[in-house]
Amino acid sequence: MKFLIITLGAAAIIAASFFGARALTVKRITDQNSIFDTFEQVDAVWLYSDMIGAAAASNVERARVAIGGPLGLSAKEAVYFVATKDDQGAALQSQCTYRVTGQPIDTRWWSLTLYDSITQHYVPNDVNRSSWNSVSIPRSDSGEWIVNVAPEPQATAWLPTQSAPEQGFELMLRVYNPSAATRAILPNIELPKVERVSC
Amino acid sequence: MLNRGLFYLIAAIGLAAVTFLVTRHLVIQQAPVKVMSTIEARIATGAGGWNACFHNQVYGPRANAARRANPDSIISSMAYDLSDGPVRISGETWPRYWSISFYQQNSDNFFVMNDREMAEQRFDFILAMGGQDTSTLNGTLIVSPTAKGIMLIRRFAADASDMPGIIANQEALFCGPANADG
Repeated sequence: MKFLIITLGAAAIIAASFFGARALTVKRITDQNSIFDTFEQVDAVWLYSDMIGAAAASNVERARVAIGGPLGLSAKEAVYFVATKDDQGAALQSQCTYRVTGQPIDTRWWSLTLYDSITQHYVPNDVNRSSWNSVSIPRSDSGEWIVNVAPEPQATAWLPTQSAPEQGFELMLRVYNPSAATRAILPNIELPKVERVSC
Repeated sequence: MLNRGLFYLIAAIGLAAVTFLVTRHLVIQQAPVKVMSTIEARIATGAGGWNACFHNQVYGPRANAARRANPDSIISSMAYDLSDGPVRISGETWPRYWSISFYQQNSDNFFVMNDREMAEQRFDFILAMGGQDTSTLNGTLIVSPTAKGIMLIRRFAADASDMPGIIANQEALFCGPANADG
């Protein structure tokens, strides 16, 4: 009888610990608010990681990337920057209008893509656009470019968000085949400014 | 009696802690493997089987794309299974930007090469596991650490006008058993 009680007690402890650990761990590696926790803060706006797809990544980093953005390229080929806040440190919100201003990046090509923070997918829109790239973006004579992020159509280089209030989004800057000069200073390259224009 | 009660309490806490830590470790370690298995199944379904090419032929955002996919990068993919022998991938690069990358079953990107690193526009890769006999096969050998995994070929499309050329490039791509014609 005593042996049975001890065995049942141990089984209950194992079951409770197993299900508790599983639930907490799944929440930890899938939580959209912590998915970039292991990224390095480059400035007020941009986060950076060179552990995408890397054998040297920790188990938690690997799991988060696999769930939140699988099959990324290793830093040998491309580097990734993510913005979830504007230059004042406020979370990017879909109902607001932002101006993203960038200088030429010494790299083979780059792209700037907008994702919904909750779904981690593209934001559906009438013009079927979720990105601009280094070839398609209109530029000034000096090479500067501006992307207007807003829920309503903009005159030039519009990156559509959605009208839903309090809906967060993020911007991902992918830099493919950065030059040796760019690699030498990573992640401290001249990154785009993200300013809130109105809300 | 007190000593015995204390022993059971310590044993219970120890058992709970060990179970918690082991479970946590296994969940974190297995999460990428489960994600890879899910994506492999999707690719294999789209391609009509393992070790076959599957092409995205649409420029821009797609509702069924992977999380945080890049709409400017037009993908050909292959879910591979080397259990029955090596696999061949051959074709031509794409001038704007082209890369071939391989992901082992824990999602690590164990190999990547782009068009500027290639000696010529045509490529012919043999993907095999360590220890598999590839002595009679022509092609550049890539060794996969795991029997299963995913291959991606990325081509940069500046806009939709690049798509006809990319689709022609995709259709010239061969993915299949290494002993088949490529």
